[in-house]
Amino acid sequence: MDEKILLRFPLKNDYLTTVRLTTGGMCSLVGIDVETSEDCKVCVTESLLLLKRSGYTAAEIAFSCGEGLRVDIAGKDKSGAPAPSEEDEISCVLLGALVDNLNMEHDGGVISALSFGFGI
Amino acid sequence: MEDQALFEQYRATGDISIRNKIVEKYLYIASVIAKKFVGRGVEYDDLFQVASLALIKGVDRFDVSKGLQFSTFITPTITGEIKNYFRDRSRLVHLPRRVAELRVSVKRAAEELTAETGKKPTAKELAARLSVSEEEVVSAMEAGSVVSLDRSASGEEEGMSYYDVLPAEDMDIEALEQRDAVSSALKILSKEERALVRYRFSEELSQTETAKRLGVSQMYVSRMERRVLNKLRENYKNSMAD
Repeated sequence: MDEKILLRFPLKNDYLTTVRLTTGGMCSLVGIDVETSEDCKVCVTESLLLLKRSGYTAAEIAFSCGEGLRVDIAGKDKSGAPAPSEEDEISCVLLGALVDNLNMEHDGGVISALSFGFGI
Repeated sequence: MEDQALFEQYRATGDISIRNKIVEKYLYIASVIAKKFVGRGVEYDDLFQVASLALIKGVDRFDVSKGLQFSTFITPTITGEIKNYFRDRSRLVHLPRRVAELRVSVKRAAEELTAETGKKPTAKELAARLSVSEEEVVSAMEAGSVVSLDRSASGEEEGMSYYDVLPAEDMDIEALEQRDAVSSALKILSKEERALVRYRFSEELSQTETAKRLGVSQMYVSRMERRVLNKLRENYKNSMAD
C-alpha cells in the first residue's frame, strides 16, 4: 500500500531548494535512479513555477511512495495576481517531454494542479 | 517578418542568413531549457551549446505546413538532445564520483571560509565560493560524512581502527588471499619443515645459514627442502582438484 508524505509551503523561491532536496530524497527512497531523479526535480520545480505564475501563493505536494513515486501538486491560497509568462508554454512542453503521465487541472483559466509519476 | 514567412523563405532558398535570423529569435528557448538542467555536473555553457545545436537542427527539420508552433516543436527536441547528452556523458562520469569530489571541495572551502571570517560558513556562502548551487552543497554534505581512519571501527573507545581493518588496495586483498593459501598449506608440514620454509623463503637465508639455525648439515637442509617443496606441490595439486 502507498505511503503518503505531504509538504505544504509558501510559493517563494527561497523554499525551492528544500523542495528539490525533499524530492530527491523521495526518489532515492523508492529506488529511482539519479538521472530520473533529476528529471523529477525539474518537473516539481516547473510545476511550482507554473502555479506561482497562476497567482497561487502557496502549494501542497503529496508524494505517494509505492512501486514508484507519484507526485500530486496543488496550488493553495490564490491571493496573488496571475502573471502569465512566455515561459509557461516552455514549462508545459518540458513537463510533457519528461513524463508520460502528466495530468493538469485548470481553475478559472489558469493551471491549478498537476500530477505525474516516476518509476510507476 | 512573420515566423511562417521566415520558415517558408528558408525552406525555399536554403539561405543560411534566414536560418540564423530564426535561430537568434528562438535562442532564448535554448537558454531557458539549458538552465533547467544545470546542477547535474555539466556547466551551463556546455548545456547551452548542446541546446543551441539542437535548435539549429530543429530549424532545419521544422515543417511549417503542419500548423504547429515552432516553440511547441523545439522544446521537446532540445530537451531530448540534452537528455541524450547526459546519457552519453554518464557513461564517462559517474555521478557519485562527482558528489564525492564536491564533498572534498565543500570541506576545504568550509575550512578556508572559517579561517577567513572566524565563523562557520552557511551553505549559501559555500555555494558562492564554489560557484555551485546551494542544493548541490547540501546534497554533497548529505551524501555521507568523512570518517577518520583512526576512529574505532567498532564504535567503542577501544578496539581496532578503520585503518587496521580496511584493506588499502585490491592488491592487498590478493596478497592476503595468497598469504591465507600459504598458511593453509604450511599446516601439512612438521615444525622443523615450517622453520626451514621460514628461514629459506621468508628470511631468504642460504642453505648453510639455515643449517646452522636448525643445527643440521647443509646436505640435510638441501634434502629436506626438496621434500618440503614436493609436499607443498602435491598439496596444491590436490586442493586444485577439489
